[in-house]
Amino acid sequence: MDRQRRAGFLFVLPAVAYFACVYFIPLVESLIGSFYRTLPGGASRFMGFGLYERVFTDPVFWNSVKTTIKLLALSVPSTVVLALAVALGLDRLTLRWRSLWAAMYFVPFAVSLVAAALIWQWLYEPVYGVLNHALALVGLPPQKWLQSLNQVLPSLAAVNVWVRLGFDTMIFLAALQAIPGEYYEAAAMDGASARQQLWHVTLPLLNPQVVMVCILELIFNFKIFDQVYATTQGGPAGASQTIIPLLYDTAFKYFRLGEASVMAVFVFGVLLVVTLLQWRIFRRPVDY
Amino acid sequence: MADLPQAGGLLRGAGARSVPLARWLTAALVAAGALTVIFPFVWIALTSLKTPPEIQRVPLQLAPDHWGNLENYREVFRRAPFSRFLLNSALLATVSAMSSLVVSALAGYGFAKFRFPGHSVFFFAIIGILMVPFQSVVVPLYLWVSRLGLLDTYLGILAPDLVSVFGVFLMRQAIEAVPDDYIAAARIDGCGEWGIFWRVILPAVTPALATLAIIKFMWTWNEFFWPLVVVNSPSMKTVTMGLIGFTNMYFIEYNLVTAAAVLSVLPILLIFVILQKWVVQAAVMTGLKG
Repeated sequence: MDRQRRAGFLFVLPAVAYFACVYFIPLVESLIGSFYRTLPGGASRFMGFGLYERVFTDPVFWNSVKTTIKLLALSVPSTVVLALAVALGLDRLTLRWRSLWAAMYFVPFAVSLVAAALIWQWLYEPVYGVLNHALALVGLPPQKWLQSLNQVLPSLAAVNVWVRLGFDTMIFLAALQAIPGEYYEAAAMDGASARQQLWHVTLPLLNPQVVMVCILELIFNFKIFDQVYATTQGGPAGASQTIIPLLYDTAFKYFRLGEASVMAVFVFGVLLVVTLLQWRIFRRPVDY
Repeated sequence: MADLPQAGGLLRGAGARSVPLARWLTAALVAAGALTVIFPFVWIALTSLKTPPEIQRVPLQLAPDHWGNLENYREVFRRAPFSRFLLNSALLATVSAMSSLVVSALAGYGFAKFRFPGHSVFFFAIIGILMVPFQSVVVPLYLWVSRLGLLDTYLGILAPDLVSVFGVFLMRQAIEAVPDDYIAAARIDGCGEWGIFWRVILPAVTPALATLAIIKFMWTWNEFFWPLVVVNSPSMKTVTMGLIGFTNMYFIEYNLVTAAAVLSVLPILLIFVILQKWVVQAAVMTGLKG
């Protein structure tokens, strides 16, 4: 290797070594660990697919998968649709107002998920919370929100929407502003109404961003942990027990590291499929 | 992606041709939405200034009786070593931002301006990490940190946070835009590779470095999952963990939770408001934490 090639290699070496230690080796270890059961005293026993069988026949595990999917179904479409609406609205404002309001939508993205969850727990508070007070003002009965079997997932979904709305809006807004104005001029010349322009010009051109944002939201909501841990801890009665909190409990509350590794492999597998799907979709470059 | 909300014309799209009434309606809806998004912050700030009896008063009152009532904040610092939590988080976030800058800039330079055996394999391997959820590697990482005796230490908390894929990616993008002529000229002047990195590359990508520092600081400050795994003693807790300490299964003192939440959110919000343009830019550019 000549001097320059060696220099280049040395420049990337710290990063490569670091990521190998923190991601690649542990990922392989997770895979291996999912076949072993740790016995008291630190020894481990090879289980074959025994732990997979145990996890995949456990109703608690499938309940957490189902809960995660329900939460996804509640959070992702509402976030994407709202963000699209907000971005379309912001796009029509003058520059100064657009910057101001856009910044406000973006603020929740800056705070920790724990803080966001606790802020909302206070809004949801059944007796002194502002939401039930607001309901009372319009003559509606108070709700139990996070403490209700039926309302806990929609309530958590609302927190997720609040946290992610501004971020998705930014992506849509950036894409909207990259659409050349001539497209609209041409459409207007052909006599297209504002609604027709939205359906036949704006939305088709925004399609790649919509797909990207959907996948990012899918990943974000699939990995939900902080919000659940900070507010409901999976309750009431397991109604908000999603998969990552279950993984955490399995590993660090019950120290069943083998079973936790099986879940880790499962989570990795699911997100791998989702991400590969994203890459497939985005390999096609987008032309305006 | 280059066009940010700050850029662009005055009026865009169909709106430019719509009637003034529709435009006003749009503006009103957008503003109402923005105020709704902001309201929870206002509400916790107001609550954090109220006494428990004021919180429980019916009908609900928005403003506290006394605006200067900081008793809840004093109580937060009395109940928990909250100043220590703030200090821990500030220290961890600063170190992780700095280490990210150094390692990411080095790697970004190596990937952007050199070709060596393994170049693309290494690069795609690193980008591939974006597909690995952190929770998938948390058990082996925990065992390693525990074996190395790093549980409950700063180094243990920082272990998975010292560099991020995002940083490497961002720096590669930024450094790729530096003209090769600059580097060639420096080489002709007899500057070594290390000297070029310090004297040519780093000054040329200062805005990207600033963006990375801010984003990484925010992420580490807001981190929760990993610190929860490795930290035991109160003196090592971070702000997010300290915040959790104010919730209780049976009775939550919301006057204290809201004060603690304000304390945990305020530093980040200040950074965010002051440096918002860079944060938005980075978020839109990458879209993913990793």
